[in-house]
Amino acid sequence: MSTRGSEAWRLAAALAAIGAVTLVLGPVLGTSNASTVSTTYLLVVLLVAATSRLRVAVITSVTAMLCLNFFFLPPTGTFTISEPQNWIALVAFIAVSLMASRLSAVAQARTDEALSRRDELARLFDLGRDVLLITDSREALSILARSIARRFDLEFVAVALPRAGEWEIHQAGGEPVALDPRQLSSAYAAAQTSLEFDAYARTYAGHRTISVNGRDIRLVPLRIGTRPIGVLAAAGRPVEAGTLDTLAGVVAIAVERAYFLEQLKAGELARQSEQLKTTLLASLSHDLRTPLTAISVAASNLKGLELTDAERLEQSDLIQSEAARLTRLFENVLDMARIDAGAVAQDSRWTHPSEIVATAREQVEPALRAHQVDVLIDHDVPVELDPRLTASALAHLLENAGQYSPPGSTIHVDVRLSEEGLVVQVRDHGAGIAPADLPRLFERFYRGAEARTRTSGTGMGLWIVRGLLAAEKGRVWAENGADGGAVFTMTIPVAVKELEPAGSPGS
Amino acid sequence: MTDRPRILLVDDEVAIQRAVGPLLRGRGYDVDVARTGTEALDMFASRSPGLIVLDLGLPDLEGSEVCRRIRMHSQVPIIVLSARGSETDKVNALDLGADDYMTKPFGPEELLARIRVALRRTAAGESPDGGILHAGALAIDYDRRRVVRDEIEVRLTPKEFELLSLLARNRDRVLTHRAILKEVWGPNAVEQPEHLWTLVAQLRKKIEPDPAHPRYLVSEPWVGYRFVTDES
Repeated sequence: MSTRGSEAWRLAAALAAIGAVTLVLGPVLGTSNASTVSTTYLLVVLLVAATSRLRVAVITSVTAMLCLNFFFLPPTGTFTISEPQNWIALVAFIAVSLMASRLSAVAQARTDEALSRRDELARLFDLGRDVLLITDSREALSILARSIARRFDLEFVAVALPRAGEWEIHQAGGEPVALDPRQLSSAYAAAQTSLEFDAYARTYAGHRTISVNGRDIRLVPLRIGTRPIGVLAAAGRPVEAGTLDTLAGVVAIAVERAYFLEQLKAGELARQSEQLKTTLLASLSHDLRTPLTAISVAASNLKGLELTDAERLEQSDLIQSEAARLTRLFENVLDMARIDAGAVAQDSRWTHPSEIVATAREQVEPALRAHQVDVLIDHDVPVELDPRLTASALAHLLENAGQYSPPGSTIHVDVRLSEEGLVVQVRDHGAGIAPADLPRLFERFYRGAEARTRTSGTGMGLWIVRGLLAAEKGRVWAENGADGGAVFTMTIPVAVKELEPAGSPGS
Repeated sequence: MTDRPRILLVDDEVAIQRAVGPLLRGRGYDVDVARTGTEALDMFASRSPGLIVLDLGLPDLEGSEVCRRIRMHSQVPIIVLSARGSETDKVNALDLGADDYMTKPFGPEELLARIRVALRRTAAGESPDGGILHAGALAIDYDRRRVVRDEIEVRLTPKEFELLSLLARNRDRVLTHRAILKEVWGPNAVEQPEHLWTLVAQLRKKIEPDPAHPRYLVSEPWVGYRFVTDES
């Protein structure tokens, strides 16, 4: 709009200049020399051609020619010409002025193009930098679409990639546009079959414009070398076809890069999981071998050594507790296999929370022997849940608390009912959880900074807790308490038995 | 009867302490127990044990590190216990000067036998470089570089004699492949165990009554070799 307006202004100014020249040379100075007049007009035309568009320059040229004919070439006051040499002057004038206009317009167009090229190059350069800065493989393509929209001031940008027969579309811009997969497929298919660039007409094979909800959207194939890998869709500010093609090249490289990043990440994950397995085997092997050694030596002590009664008791006690340790390890491995196989079934029944706590304590009694366990149950009313899963999960939390808090310290177990269901909290007075460990604590085989200094422990426990609770639609999380100890909280959705109306205060 | 030998048991697992402690005491040893590497080094300095049973998986120091530090001061026999099932740990410990190793789970008699052998070797004094060693029907004369089996001299190549005398001087101890290669062939050969395999096979043909079931040159699979003097 603004260019149109300024064009009209320029035309008006040009015509005014012609008028002024006519006025000054004619009535004021009374010049009659045709060559003086035509040179002066030519000056005006050249000035106009140098600063305005071709159209303006041509109109100015014709007007100047008419004025020259009308006011200065005899017979003046008419558009007729008597002397043949004046015809030549007139034709020469219009030819020179038109040619000058044309030359000037071409020069101007070149300048404009160079400017817009420079602008687009700058945008492409910025985009290239954006692409290299993308490190997150999952978000890469959405970030890419956003970067294109931002760098090229486009209203809508979409990167569409064919994935297993479907189109995976990452878009950016004001309002989302529903791209028709069939149109994408047809543009993609066309890009696969032809690859010409018509240098003269500046058209690129595979480029096409589609209309969605009355909006023109340009589709450009994304190519790595000559192989198309997807389609770029853009709408808004008109972008030159060559630039769009280059842009599509950059986008294609970015898409490939995102793909490689993803591969890299997958490789890293595989390596990590391999390492986890090795760690597990090492600690599992340790946790199996130690009790086996103790049992074998203690059994032979009972048989072969002369022992006092107290010593005999101590040795048989050791055998029992180590056998219990093996049993516990065995159960953990079994639980892990069940969770992995999705074979943990919920078996709900009515239970008192106090029973669950008691069962859990019993399961890990050896780990709690050196600790004081302080149980606080808010309302010991019957609840409906799976007592086995719940107690087993709580047992793991208690065992952990026993392992990671100093002997002699107190472990608090708080049980209450809330809207979320049964809430069981285990608090210890240990060193707490290192902040770096918190996010990964419930990952399988993950062992925190503290745990890694110990030889036993497999990193299965908390993962099992989460797996068991998931079967009950419950959840568990960890945090550090106000006094620094670790706090584990688990919640399980439960049904609560309606309390019978409080009986009359009996006699 | 001399003083009861004092054994330092180093293991962070209470269960092992509770089982192995009484076992050793019941067989006439005095036992000190350490739970960490630092504690072990302290007790080694203060109690001067005659033998150390050292678990490799300690909470503070690597067992092999404990081994290395003790070896800087003393030649006390060290038997390492490993539970990890990984060979590298114990090979490391042996390379750093441990005398023997046992993998958990082990039987009590096995442990006691290893302890007896290790103590006997120190009681016999530091392995003499001169003199003659008798083992079964075998006599090894270090000075004259001669080996006699069943009254008949066995002709050995210089390398064969070097290997045999190295193992014999460290009799009843496990020498790792690495240690043997380094000693017999030099530091550049430690990555070439095939030298060792060939030489051991040749030597067995000459000194073993039944080379397929060696009695003197016993393999410790994946770890090394041991020269056995015991008849059993």
